[in-house]
Amino acid sequence: MHRQPLVRLTDLTRTYPLGSVQVRALTGVSLDVSRGEFLALAGPSGSGKTTLLNLIGCIDKPDSGRIVIDGVDVTGVPLHRLAATRRDTLGFIFQTFNLIPVLTAYENVEYPLLLQHVPAARRGERVRYWLDQVGLSDQARQRPDQLSGGQRQRVAIARAMAGEPKLVLADEPTANLDSVTAGKILDLVEELNGRTHCTFIFATHDPALMARAHRCIRMHDGAIVNAPLIANDPLIADEPRLEARAS
Amino acid sequence: MLTKLALRNVFRNRRRSVITLLVIVFGAVGLILFGGYKAITFHSLRESTIRNRLGHLQIYKRGFESAEAKKPLEHGLDNIVQLRRAIESDKRVRMTTAQITLMGLISNGDKSETFMATGVEPKEDRAMNAQRLVAGTDLPDGEADAIIVGRGLAASMRAKPGDYLTLMSTTSSGSLNAIDVRVAGIFMSGVKEYDDRAIKMPLAGAQQLLQTAKVERLLVLLNDTDDTAAVRADLDRLFARKHWAIEMKDWSQLATFYHQVVLLYNGIFGFIGMVVFGIVIFSVANTIVMSIFERTREIGTMMAIGTTRSSIWRLFLAEGLLIGIIGGVAGLLAGAGASSVINHVHVMLPPPPGYTQGYPLRVMMQPGILVTAFLIAVITSTLSSILPALKASRLKIVDALGHI
Repeated sequence: MHRQPLVRLTDLTRTYPLGSVQVRALTGVSLDVSRGEFLALAGPSGSGKTTLLNLIGCIDKPDSGRIVIDGVDVTGVPLHRLAATRRDTLGFIFQTFNLIPVLTAYENVEYPLLLQHVPAARRGERVRYWLDQVGLSDQARQRPDQLSGGQRQRVAIARAMAGEPKLVLADEPTANLDSVTAGKILDLVEELNGRTHCTFIFATHDPALMARAHRCIRMHDGAIVNAPLIANDPLIADEPRLEARAS
Repeated sequence: MLTKLALRNVFRNRRRSVITLLVIVFGAVGLILFGGYKAITFHSLRESTIRNRLGHLQIYKRGFESAEAKKPLEHGLDNIVQLRRAIESDKRVRMTTAQITLMGLISNGDKSETFMATGVEPKEDRAMNAQRLVAGTDLPDGEADAIIVGRGLAASMRAKPGDYLTLMSTTSSGSLNAIDVRVAGIFMSGVKEYDDRAIKMPLAGAQQLLQTAKVERLLVLLNDTDDTAAVRADLDRLFARKHWAIEMKDWSQLATFYHQVVLLYNGIFGFIGMVVFGIVIFSVANTIVMSIFERTREIGTMMAIGTTRSSIWRLFLAEGLLIGIIGGVAGLLAGAGASSVINHVHVMLPPPPGYTQGYPLRVMMQPGILVTAFLIAVITSTLSSILPALKASRLKIVDALGHI
């Protein structure tokens, strides 16, 4: 097993200009995320959850600090050079699903595999497998506007998983869904985490999601305010390094 | 995938795409129609200039052009029988005809005017169909003292068919000579300035007035204008081999007016091309910019899940290219349709400057024009998407994802 955490964040800061003032979105965040974790970032709006998720997702840069993902220090690498890291190591699930509207469910799931240059036969297998996993085999030929919100998010999950990422980042994945659909989506994601040992990090307001997380990191004003371990999680209980090093 | 995405995106906002495509189609149709009109104008003007006036080649005695003749026809061709036989033996040559041009005074007894006469061989000249008779008959065979007179000159002389006039000119030996001639007919060429001064007379009559047996030049008419350069080269070799002191000009060296028209029309065509170019550029650029604005979050998503900047750039470039190709093809079809409609309805245009007759509007469908119109559509459309596509590829992913 890898002893090294999948994600290691050290003393990250990030400031945004908002009009004439500078908003401090992160004020020195350090965090380790272990492989296979099911981690929730919780906190009120503006607490820095999404900013932290963006930094881990290599789609934003910190002002200072260090980001190591899967043993690679990505801190100094320009974002456009990290396309391959995002493609091969990361999966994204968005609050608003963000499917490509002109592509069918099948093609949306296939898209990251095309970016990875997966050969056609294997690509087809994998797309069908993941559509089956999210229960949408019958909707493969439908476009996003022909699918319900829950179905769209399932396609988005299949898309995130099809590329076989090591880490899936989900920003409020249940916020746009009703509670029943959201529950089903969480069941699915939790099951996938258990079965594939793919690491999941969520930014969420959803208490149901926080309750299911192995670990819930609470954020406030750009900092981690506590790092409670979920006591009954065997994956984390014997890993003292996984405690968040809140600044 | 890139092509599939681009194609589907092009038809995503149908109304906008249709408007953009219509702009390209109208531009292409404009180019095709004007290009086709230009082509047929060039072709008609070239052929009428050659077949009615200049011939494909004109043959002179060597030195005719450079030497300043002291007397008329001092540098004329003599004994042209052998020369004609040699030239006419070429299958590409339709006919040859000898001519003399001369100037002098024409008088009706009360009034004199200057004239410019062309001495022609009546039978061959009728075949060239240089002018339209408005009264009387064309030059008859075997009647040396018959002439036909330009409409303006006939009016000035108050002459009608059957009247007698006197022509006076300097002979080849430098003295003055005058002959009486009968007006067989009155013609108009369409060019007023020419018709005010021109007469045509049989070669025999012109030689009689100039008191010479020489001719000024021999016109060579070919079956096909495209053979001009090849025939000229062959004749050059023939004359060199036979040591004949002869020089030659082709129609293009003599057709000043034709070249002026070509220059003018090409200038207008270029200007219209630029206007179309500009309209298409702005229209397609607007479409792509709007599309990028609407799809900003989608671009952010694509980049977040690993699409490279260059792929985003290529995607929008492909969309511009596809708009150009679709618009170009539709433009070709519409242009071809519009051309055949115009050619069938026989619209008459007013006379051009310097002419007295109108002419039918016709459009020539030429592959070159169609290809040009298509390429302009495709190239401008693609060019205009370069900058917006570059802008799209440079979007900050986080900002793009947050775009509403």
